Parts: sequence; C-alpha cells; structure tokens
Amino acid sequence: MYRRLLININQVRNRLIHTHNTRLTLPSTKCKERESFAPVTWAPCTARPLGTSSISFSENKESSTSLSEDKGKTPEETEVNAEVNTDGQRNTEMNEGTEISNATLTSQLETEPVVKPEDRKQVETTKSGKESLLELLGAMKVEVTTVRKIRPSKTPRMSERPDQEPMESTHSMFQRAAAEGSQQHGTLNPALVAAVSAAASTLPNRHQAESELLKQLRKHEAIPDTQRRADIGHIISDMKVGKRPNGRSNVRPTSQIRFDDDGKGYTQDRGITSELDGVRRRKSPFTSKRLNLFAAAAEQDALSDLGPTLWDIDLVNQIVQATNQMPRNGFEEMIQWTKEGRLWQYPINNEAGLEEEASVPFHEHVFLEKHLDESFPQQGPVRHFMELVITGLAKNHHLTVQQKKEHIDWFRDYFRQKEDVLKEAEAYLN
Amino acid sequence: MASSCSQALRHHVCKSSRILQEIVIPKKKTWSKEAVLQALASTVNRDPTASDYRFQDDPYLTPKTSSEFKLFSLSQESGRNAAKYFISTYPKYFQKDYAQPHIPCLMPETLEAQIEEVSEAALIERIQMRKVKAAVDLYDQLQQAGTPVSLDVTNQLLDLICFYGDCDPAQENVPEQRNEETEDVQDEPQTKKGRASKASDKLKAAWKENNNAERIFALLSEPNTHSYSALIRGMVKYGAYSKAFSTYTDLLNNQLKADVSTFNALITAAPEVKEKYNEKWELIVDLLKQMAEQKVKPNLLTLNAVLKALRRCGTVGKSQAFPVISEMRALSIDPSLASYNHLLSIFYKPGAPFQGQTDILQEVMNEVSGKSFTPQDPDDAQFFITAVRICLDTKDIEQAYRVHELLGVGENWRLLGNDFQQNIYHARFFSLLCMMENIDVVLKWYRDLVPSVYYPSSNVMRDLLQVLDTDNRLDLIPQIWKDLKQLGHGNRQTLVEELLTLMAREKQNQEVQETFAECALDIKKMYDTGDRGKVMMSWTAGSLSDLVSVLLAAQRRQDAWEILKLFKTHNRVPSEELLDKFLTCIKESGDVNQALELVQISAGFCLPGTPKLIQRVQQEFLLSEQQKSMLSDLEIQTFNSD
Repeated sequence: MYRRLLININQVRNRLIHTHNTRLTLPSTKCKERESFAPVTWAPCTARPLGTSSISFSENKESSTSLSEDKGKTPEETEVNAEVNTDGQRNTEMNEGTEISNATLTSQLETEPVVKPEDRKQVETTKSGKESLLELLGAMKVEVTTVRKIRPSKTPRMSERPDQEPMESTHSMFQRAAAEGSQQHGTLNPALVAAVSAAASTLPNRHQAESELLKQLRKHEAIPDTQRRADIGHIISDMKVGKRPNGRSNVRPTSQIRFDDDGKGYTQDRGITSELDGVRRRKSPFTSKRLNLFAAAAEQDALSDLGPTLWDIDLVNQIVQATNQMPRNGFEEMIQWTKEGRLWQYPINNEAGLEEEASVPFHEHVFLEKHLDESFPQQGPVRHFMELVITGLAKNHHLTVQQKKEHIDWFRDYFRQKEDVLKEAEAYLN
Repeated sequence: MASSCSQALRHHVCKSSRILQEIVIPKKKTWSKEAVLQALASTVNRDPTASDYRFQDDPYLTPKTSSEFKLFSLSQESGRNAAKYFISTYPKYFQKDYAQPHIPCLMPETLEAQIEEVSEAALIERIQMRKVKAAVDLYDQLQQAGTPVSLDVTNQLLDLICFYGDCDPAQENVPEQRNEETEDVQDEPQTKKGRASKASDKLKAAWKENNNAERIFALLSEPNTHSYSALIRGMVKYGAYSKAFSTYTDLLNNQLKADVSTFNALITAAPEVKEKYNEKWELIVDLLKQMAEQKVKPNLLTLNAVLKALRRCGTVGKSQAFPVISEMRALSIDPSLASYNHLLSIFYKPGAPFQGQTDILQEVMNEVSGKSFTPQDPDDAQFFITAVRICLDTKDIEQAYRVHELLGVGENWRLLGNDFQQNIYHARFFSLLCMMENIDVVLKWYRDLVPSVYYPSSNVMRDLLQVLDTDNRLDLIPQIWKDLKQLGHGNRQTLVEELLTLMAREKQNQEVQETFAECALDIKKMYDTGDRGKVMMSWTAGSLSDLVSVLLAAQRRQDAWEILKLFKTHNRVPSEELLDKFLTCIKESGDVNQALELVQISAGFCLPGTPKLIQRVQQEFLLSEQQKSMLSDLEIQTFNSD
C-alpha cells in the first residue's frame, strides 16, 4: 500500500526533524544556563544552518537576560550578555523601528553571523570551552561594535571593559579579511540608506551614528556573494535534513523561517513544493512560444448580429444544463427567483413595475385643467361636469396619465356627438 | 501672541476650506437586483450535517441512499415539469393574473400560432415557436404565392432547420428529467449505459441529402455569410463533415467571408475528415490561417474547438496544445476550464501509462488555483472530474487537494456539473483519500462529505474498510456498519461478509468485542429480514462461523449457540476449528450438556474432527455414566462411518 510506505517515510522524516530540532535548541538553552561549555556541546552549533535561527536565539537571550542582572557577573559573562542584548536590540530596531525591505537587509545581516562561527570554528578548535564560546558569540555579533560605539551614553559600562579590545580586534580582523576579498565599496541600496538614517535619527549623535552605520553596511556589501553562497551551501550540505543537499545556494527566507519553527509539525513538505512551484513557474509550458498565426491587433467583430441567433440561445442553454444550477440555500433560491422575475426585488421599492410612470411628474396627474381648454364649453353644466371629472381623475392613482387623457377624450367626443341635443337643451354654452 | 493665534486659525480655516472644496459627493450607486441576496448568500456556509437544500422542505423526504436521492430529486423535477405541461397545454385555465406587477414567467406560454394568414409575420412567428415543419410549409406557400421573403427571415429559417436537422424538436414539455439530457462524458465508460441515450438519439439524426435546408438555400439568389454559416453548422452538427467543407469552399468561391462560428464548426469537423494525425493538424492550422486572412477574430470557443480536435491528434496534440494556448493568450483569450479539461485529456489518456507527464496536472493547477471561473463552455463542467480522475490514476493526493480547494473558490462549485458528475467526482476523490491518507484524515473527509453531498457506493465503502484494517482501527466498525445500513448497503453480501471477517479476525479488548457482538447480531437481523423486495442475503459457512466467533469472543455463548444451529437449517458445514473454539468456550462455563450437544452436532455433520472433540470432552469435563456411554456410542458411530 502506498500509504504504508508514506507513513514509514513520515516516521523517518519526523525522527529526523526531531533530532534536528534538539540540535537547534540545544545551544540556546545552554546559553541561558550560563554554564561553561565544553567544545563538544558546541558541535551542533556549527551545523546551525540559517540566519533566522540566530535571530531567535538572540531574542531568547534578550528575554532571559537583562543588563541590570549582569552587575554581579564576571566581566566576560557580562560582556557576552551585553553584546547579545545589544544585538537583539539592534535586530529589533532594524526590523520594527524602521521600514526596511527585510528580504535584502536581514538576509545580508543575518546570514553573515552564521557564516562566521563556522569559519572560526574551523580555525580555532583547540581553544577552551569558555574562550570558544566568547569567540563564537562575539563573532556572531559583528555589528555590535558599531552599535556600542554609537551609544556610549546608554551603555557606559561597555567602554570600560578591559577585555573588550581583543574581541573587537578579532572582529575587525575578520572584517578586514573579508573586506580584502573584494576592494569594491559599492553604493548601497537607497532603501538601506534611508533605513539607516531613520535608525540613526533615534540616537543622540545622529550624524556620527549614521555614518558609522553606513560604513558598517558597506563592509557587508563588500563581502563577495560567492563566498557567502559557498558557505551557505556548505552548511546546508552539512545539515542532512534539508532533503535537498544538491547545493541550492539561494535558500529563501520564508522557507527558512518555516524550517526553524520548532514545536509543531514539519512543514518542510509545503515549503519544498512552494519552492518547486517557483522553479516550475519559470519554465511553465504555458509560457511557451505561440503559433504566430494571428495578428495581435484587437480586431473588432465585423458582424454586428441582429440579436442572439438560435445557436447562441442553444449554447447558453447547453451551458446551463451542463452546470449545477441548484440553489444551495434559501438566499440562492431567492436569487434565482429574482432573476426569473418572481420575487420582489431588493432593495425594496414600492414603485416596482411602475418604471414608465416614474418619468411622469406628479402635476401631469393632478392638474388636468389644461386638457379641458378648447373643445369644451367655458361654462355651464357640461363644464361643471367635466370639472368634477378631472377632480376625480386627479385623485385616481390607478390610472396612468395616458389613460386619464383618454378618459377626457372620450367625454370630448361624447359631448361633440351630443352637441345638438345639448344646444337644444341650452346646456351647451360656448 | 493673539495675532499669531488668529493667523494660525485663519491658516487652518483656509486649509479646511480648501479641503472642503475638494469633497466630491459620490454618485448614487445603483445596486443590481441580486446584490443584497448575493451578499446574504455568501454568509451561508455548507452544513455537512444537512442534506441538499432541495430536500429540506420535507424531512420525511430526506434521502439516505443514492437511489433515494435520485428518486426524490427526479420526482421533484418531474413534478415541476408536469405542472408546466398542464399550464402550457391548457392555457385558458391559467389566465388569471394575480401578480402586481405582472410576472411573465408564471403565465402560460402560447404554443399555438396566433397568425393564421400566409405572411412573413406568420413565418417569423413560427420560427420563434420553433415549429420546423410548419415554418417550412409556410415558406413554400409564400414562395408559391410569389411573396418575397427577406433574407434575414430566410436566414432565421435556415438556422431553425439546420439546428434541428430538419425535424421538429421533441416536445420540450413532455415530463422528463433534466438530468438525463446531459451529453455523454467521453472518458466515462460507465456513464454510457442507458444514460443520455436520448441525447445520442437526437444526435444520430443524420443530415439528409437535399433536405429542406439545402433546398431553401438553393432557392436563395444571394446567400450571405449568415446563410452559409447556418448551413455549415447544421452539416457539422448532423455529421455531414465533408459536405460542410465543400459548402465552405462554395462560400469562398462566392467571395464571401466566413464568421467565427463557421470556423469553430469546421475546426470541430476537421479531425473527422482526415485520417492521419498530422493531416488533421495541418487542416486545423489551415483553417486558423484562413481566419487570420479573413480578419476573423477567434473566440474562446475557437480555442476550445482546436484543443478538442487536438485530443484526437495523438502526439501532435501534445506538442501543439501549449502553443495554441499561448496564441490565444496573445489574442487576450483566457482559457476556460473546458480548455484545461481538453489539455488534461490530451496528455492523460485513460488507461495509458503516464511517462513523465505528471507535472502537466501541476502546471494546470498552478494556472487555475485560486481563480473563480464562470461557465463559458458546455465542456467546462468536465474539468473537475477529469482532474480528479488523473489524480486518482497518478495517486497524487496533493493535487487532488488543490483540485478540491479550487472547487471551493467563488462560484466554481457550479462547474462541478449535475448530480451524477458530482457523484463521480466525490467517489474518485474519496477513493484517492482512502488509498493515500491515514484513517483520521479519511474519517474527517468522510464525516464532511457523507451523506450530505456524497452517497458512497459499496466499493468505496469496502475501500474504507480496508483503511480501517490497515490503520488498525477496527473498533470503528460498528459505527461504519450503522452508516452502511443507512446508505442502503446493508444487504450487500460481499461487503457484509468482509465486515464479519474483519470483526472475527483478531481478538480485541472486551469493550470493543461487546460492540462487535451487538453489531454482529444487527447484521444477523439483516439476513433475517429481507423485506421490501430487497435482495435476500444467504448465509455462507464463512459468514456464519465469523458470526459465531465474534459472539464467542464477546462471551455470548447463548447467542452463538443460536447461530450454530443455523448451520444445520441453512445446510452449511461448520469448520473444525470453530467447533474447537466453541468447546473451549463451553469448558469455561462447564456446561456439560451443551458440550455433548456440540459433539452431537459435529457428529451430525460427519466432521472428521469429531473423534478429537469426543476425546477432549472426555478428558476435560466431569461426565456422568450416562453421558460417558453416550459419548462412546458416538465414538463408535463416527468410527464406523469413517
């Protein structure tokens, strides 16, 4: 049975995710406990694949640690925490406080810290646990240095740190090395620049801050793409969970987030398919070349038919028969009745069905004297009778104006026919 | 300070007055007459526990099985048709107009010609009433009287004759079911039996040589495009394909242009007049080129006609289908669901293996996902069942979900087609679920679809039982049995036997066994009462022994004993293992007499295992002298018979 197979696959896959998750969560929990770290415990950390995970870590740490708590701690630890904290702040500041197109900025800023521990780990595996932790954390938070420089008033303790220098030097060393990779200090994305200036405006010394930030960003820009891609590809191939180790360098941020989302089920399946959709869409056969038989110019139908032909009616009929026209609820049935003209139309209008009367003003109905002018006597019993007639007609709402006119015309003819008789009786005065 | 204040105020006022000037009062909006109702209707969701809306008037008539569903919906339909028939046949009794304002659709239609004299007006009236013979007669009379008939009217007459193939249309008000008029599904072999026979009969009426249409056409001094169009479409509709093409050549010779519907008809006919795949396609391309030359703008029906023709062009169809769609896209003709349906049919032939074409369905789903379609082509309604058929064939559950999702978008549910097609669709979808999903998901869909929109057949229910079996959720069987009974499958012997086998196969915990026993007794009742003309089920040895084992497992010895007796009355032979099992059960209660009876029964069937049973009884039970002698008698008997 296919399903059996699938179940098996699912089980295996779930197990994989599980192991992956534990590997991911391990470092962060350790961080909270502030224990000394053996290099062994950090081994999974090197396999940490994606930038977003670093975000969640740093945020976790921020929530668990605060600056006020750190007073009694050893310098190193406080340093680490402070760094973490500021980094978290920076991230949130970047993401929330300013309007940045996340796709560009965050991916640039976040992929990098991931890359770095990898490199550092490879270089310095012989260091003691604490040292390596410091190294790693420090390496992850490269941008911290600038942020700290920007706000000396806010975090004065930092500048007093004695062991701050070596760390910073390692960072800058790395940055320098990275910068040497390519001499090009290209222009920055205008959106980035705008974001930076917005962020800097929140700080006391805004001009300095802005220029610092921009400088920092330029450094990141300068890091060659190829190097970054190769690193990510390397990490992904190390992961063994991603199901696609064939060097897909351009992993999209959306699927990363989904991937890192611990706790509930494994959403990789959908992620993969949506990615594949994207891949497929590029070479969709629906965008294949056309036959080129027709000129694209919009040619209007030359034949203007005299209404629908029998064939058109039949086509409509066929379509109606082929589709499901059964109402699914009372309202749909009412729609059907409305279309058939069986139901009073909404919105309710108590003049429905009197459409042609709507154009007739009321005075046409009420003031009917003008119809009595020429052909009726000006005075006498006939005149008196006709005045009564038009008074009655004026109050009659059942007749249309046309019917009222016809009514008067009938009397006109009648009196004309009986003119002789009336004159004899001296009732017809003119 | 004050001055600055007032300045600021003035500034503000100035500003606000400028804003005031910019206010544009929106125009009065006229709502369509259905807008309110549509908004209200969109708030109503489907209730999976309720039956179809048309059955909600009378709870007594809520259908529980598919046959009831068919019966009730058809009787409702035929009741309507009967009423319409009477109103139309006896219009004089239905003249009172109560409605204010007047409702035309409630008044009887006039079916008798009102104008008696021989005139063009009378001809027009007969054409509008679709009286083919009367119209032709009148036309002849007019010709004999020398009265000229205008070209437009003649064309209308030609339309009428060609449309009905020179026969009077079948009386539309004869009570008949709308459902059975549907065109046949081409890839649906099982639909063909009996269904739509009427429709095919109607199509069978062939184009006759020199019929009235050709005769009248020949009388025309200057036939125009419309006349030719009517003739060609009629010829194509009634199967005179090569004649249609020669008529088209005539049209070209007369320096006329064809219209788009003529081309559509000819494209439909193209696969009929050529043998080879590439010849067919060349003819279609030729026609399209001529369309372009004559500056005729193709429409959606052209696209669909080409794609439908490509379905019969084999491999050429596969290579040309997408360029055709691109071509039409370039002319801003968006494919309808019918186009996608043809596309899928081109690439997935039923029964053929699928080599590497599986992603065509994905491509199509990428195109259509999330879109709401309006019906534009009669074939639109085929899309969903074709798509879900392919999903079933390729076992692609993910695409099936996408297809089902598409069905929920906008008014797409209308395109699922009539009740019959809905049933096919749901059957396929549900079988696929049974095949690919685990029991929880299957049951979720089961509760959602059954029985509010779908009445599963016994085959699908067997699939469901298999899922229960695979996922080891046999404890749900009593529930499923209740549904089975309600769905009218309670007397399907194979299904019931499978149910019994599943229940008897493994030992469950006590609670489950108890419900199994209840269920088994219920099943026994089904065997006993074959009322209301239903097919009686007959006991087999297997079903009886399954039943006995289920009851024994639930410690219902007395009930099981009753069943055991049924073996004799129905001339079935119990297996030795069953009797062995039974004896074990008797031993637990220590009922010596019953044990002896069991041995007697076994001896009565002359089972070869009887001596073993006798031995067991002798060893395991405390026997009186009389009983011992009886047993030994039996032993001798069986020995002798052997």
